[in-house]
Amino acid sequence: MNWTPESKILVQGIGNTRGSYYATRMKAYGTNIVAAIIAGKGGQLLDDIPVFDLVEQAIEELGEVQTTAIFARPESVLDAALEAIAAGIRQIVLVSRGVPSLDMISLLEKARSTNTLILGGGSAGIIIPEKVWIGTVEPQYYTLGKVGLISRSHSLSYEVAIALNQAGLGESIAINLGTDRIIGSSFEQWLQILEQDKDTEVIVLIEQPNGNISPDSVEYIANNINKPVIVYIAGLEVPMPRDFTDALSIITTQISHSVPVTNRNQQIIAALKKARVSVAKRPSQVSQLVERALKKT
Amino acid sequence: MDLLEYQAKQLFSKVGIPLLPSQTIEDPRELKQLQIPYPVVLKSQVRAGGRGKAGGIHFVENTIDAIAAARSIFNLPIMGQYPQVLLAEARYNSQEEFFLAIVLDYQLQRPVLLGSAKGGIEIEPLLENLQKVVVKEEFSLFYARRLAIKMGLAGELIDSVSAIVEKMYRLFVEQDLDIVEINPLGVSSEGELMALDGKITVNESVLVRHPDLLLFQEPQNISQPQAKVSQSSILTPELRWLDWNEEEGGNIGIISNSLNLALVTWDLISQNKGKIDSCVLVGQETALDLQPNSHITRQIHLALQQLMELRELKIVVANFLGNPEFTQIVAQAIVDYLKPQQELKNQAEERSRRVTGSVSRSRQKRRSQQPSSKQKAIATQRPFSLVVRLVGAEIEPIKEHLAQMPVYFTDDLEEAVNKTISLTKSS
Repeated sequence: MNWTPESKILVQGIGNTRGSYYATRMKAYGTNIVAAIIAGKGGQLLDDIPVFDLVEQAIEELGEVQTTAIFARPESVLDAALEAIAAGIRQIVLVSRGVPSLDMISLLEKARSTNTLILGGGSAGIIIPEKVWIGTVEPQYYTLGKVGLISRSHSLSYEVAIALNQAGLGESIAINLGTDRIIGSSFEQWLQILEQDKDTEVIVLIEQPNGNISPDSVEYIANNINKPVIVYIAGLEVPMPRDFTDALSIITTQISHSVPVTNRNQQIIAALKKARVSVAKRPSQVSQLVERALKKT
Repeated sequence: MDLLEYQAKQLFSKVGIPLLPSQTIEDPRELKQLQIPYPVVLKSQVRAGGRGKAGGIHFVENTIDAIAAARSIFNLPIMGQYPQVLLAEARYNSQEEFFLAIVLDYQLQRPVLLGSAKGGIEIEPLLENLQKVVVKEEFSLFYARRLAIKMGLAGELIDSVSAIVEKMYRLFVEQDLDIVEINPLGVSSEGELMALDGKITVNESVLVRHPDLLLFQEPQNISQPQAKVSQSSILTPELRWLDWNEEEGGNIGIISNSLNLALVTWDLISQNKGKIDSCVLVGQETALDLQPNSHITRQIHLALQQLMELRELKIVVANFLGNPEFTQIVAQAIVDYLKPQQELKNQAEERSRRVTGSVSRSRQKRRSQQPSSKQKAIATQRPFSLVVRLVGAEIEPIKEHLAQMPVYFTDDLEEAVNKTISLTKSS
């Protein structure tokens, strides 16, 4: 992974108000946004960000670019990402939400064969407080520290960061995996990245109802991660209908016209406890558990 | 977006999936000019499932019966939906009925073929016999044959059923579908196949690249993904009520700008033994464009108004996080909403009740249980408190108004929750 303040970052697909709003704010935060790609507007400036028609033209002029953040319309995301990969970019943040599933499947195949890291779709991005901000995550909620946050929900990440900040702790990095049903990099991949990140001492996974932590991820943590891991699960008290993601359950719930309210959280909590991973049930509990973990190390 | 049966069949016909002659009927009188020979099946075109068992399907032998049946179908709501259109279709003598579907499996991140040799409306045998084949790489016909064999098919049915699966797969990929399903696929005594009913779920985020599917959108949805800026700015996005709470006796309402923030708030209140009554989301981020400030303000006003009309509620707790501009708008919107209320209250006047927008099912139900308008008027004047958790908003300029208002601002979530709980106890 390469998210240093010096690494060069592009923005693509920002021909919408959301994209241009965040591009200029990221730049103002100090993120090294070197170019914006808007076909037909090459040669212009977006605030003080130079605009190019093609990714490859930007790279020709500016040299190697490590990361691109894509804000394009969902139907154009695959194309934008393929353009970036073809130009040699190997870290892609998909801010766009609702990327068509089949497009995402072919993009992930391309990513695997080119060793490209994909974050999202529907990702609020990444923040390394005071250094790098890529995406739509709000930097005001984060302060520099030693805790790495991985979540699929940016607002839950804010809540945890606020609680950590109140306890005088801060974040080394916060990653938002994205809200789409098919996403690129997983909890496991980022656990591995943060395990190696020298600025991160404790890792907090933020889980939500219908989330991603499975018995497999628990096993992965137990076997591969030496840094302390804390899992915060939100929505434990909420009788929310389950959202199925496997083919059989999707079709079964459709045929039988009913959505069972099953709670798999208890299962996950039991598995986590067995693997000696601390589980927090409210944001303030996360900071207590982090403090305890930091004392031990 | 779920397509209606006749719409799904239009797509089926494009790829050559075998269909019976059929005709859409918008008015029972059209049956006098029916082009299909009797006997005929009349089917209610609604998105809700289980229409056969609910009485939405009639078999008719002649025009007189057909018109009577059509009238009754048009007047029969299925899960609250009235049909706008019926489908009249020739009858088919099936010896057997199969189930076929293609679905994206989000865990495997691959399309999956599903089939059952016991198709039709009986759910249990269908599911007991349901077979699955994962399309691991590029689709090829052998995946479909593998499914047919797993379903227990033999002889010519292996190839003929596989050919239909292949056509379904083409549709699935070309049209960005989430689900394509044929149930039942009728099998005649001669082994001929016929798609008797179908279901298609379209991925709404990419309707823009399927102009033909756009025509199938429900009228109220049409303006959303495709609208020009000028049009969409008139429309305030709808409030989203989370009506999962089955428990009675709640007296706390939650209002938030994100589902997950609402969940955290809900958790904390429940952990502190508070009881939730209702929960509503406003000002959620849209996929591409920033929400105009006026939308956020209007949504907050609408949500507060609807919450305050709920008799059970004693306290509303608001939890908002967002960019600094957003939180500022929220603070202002709340104060603006309370100001006229406060003035009215000071004048000891009964507030005239404005017409409200759309409400969720449980809300409508609950509201209809509310007795007389007189009692309601009393209810709106009962003590009602608002606890607002906002981070990063500059509340100094509006502080002077706050003192006189039944509102408590804090930037700390736990403090907001504690305050809420203590207010429930004191009132």
